[in-house]
Amino acid sequence: MNSVGEACTELKREYDQCFNRWFAEKFLKGESSGDPCGQLFKRYQLCVQKAIKEKDIPIEGLEFMGPSKGKTENSS
Amino acid sequence: MRIWTSEHVFDHPWETVTTAAMQKYPNPMNPSVVGVDVLQRHVDAGGKLHSHRLLSTEWGIPAIVKSLIGTCRTKTYVQEHSVVDPVKKTMELKSSNISFTNLVSVDERLVYKPHPQEPDKTILTQEAIISVKGVSLSSYLEGLMANTISSNAKKGREALEWVINRLNAEIEEFAASARGTMRNSIAAAAFAEK
Repeated sequence: MNSVGEACTELKREYDQCFNRWFAEKFLKGESSGDPCGQLFKRYQLCVQKAIKEKDIPIEGLEFMGPSKGKTENSS
Repeated sequence: MRIWTSEHVFDHPWETVTTAAMQKYPNPMNPSVVGVDVLQRHVDAGGKLHSHRLLSTEWGIPAIVKSLIGTCRTKTYVQEHSVVDPVKKTMELKSSNISFTNLVSVDERLVYKPHPQEPDKTILTQEAIISVKGVSLSSYLEGLMANTISSNAKKGREALEWVINRLNAEIEEFAASARGTMRNSIAAAAFAEK
């Protein structure tokens, strides 16, 4: 699956692979502590934010918002 | 305004369906989804995983139209917020369009839970609220869109089945290769002992 920014697709694939493994093998089994994909996500996110600005996609500052439901832990 | 709802049972456990739902795209049933990006993701203090995603869709507009209006403008975008609670075993997904909001709004909500009577199955309840704005045929158009949503929902469920099959095939392939490696190691060890 591609990213909205063509240049971000490879970064997205690396992150997705890491996340999918963590999700099925750790998170769903009740071990959500630790964030093995944090670095990959940061690199990928920077690329996507740039692409969104360039393409003028109308996301209302979503990526600048913290967690929306009041709780503070942010592992991304 | 039109409200559309549906309920469906998957013959798979909740963990399998949820894992597949997180990897739903790409799949052959939803070819118009051409891009998926995670904008933000975190585990909240209650242990629930929140993900905000952006979906890009391309509706097969003819090339000549694209060349007139410029390719950037043929994509429509949907934003999606999902919450997965691994303790209560619920996955809730809400999405709404962020393109053409002056013309139409489509808000969808999907909830995946273990089936209350059959814990190895998963129940999906789905609803969509459709609102076409400022047009006198809005009721008719909303009806058309409800039909589209209904047929897309069917494709979406088929898509999940497809992803589940793919994931199971990968697991089986991995296990078969591991068994093969083990047999070779045992044979080699037996040979070496002679």
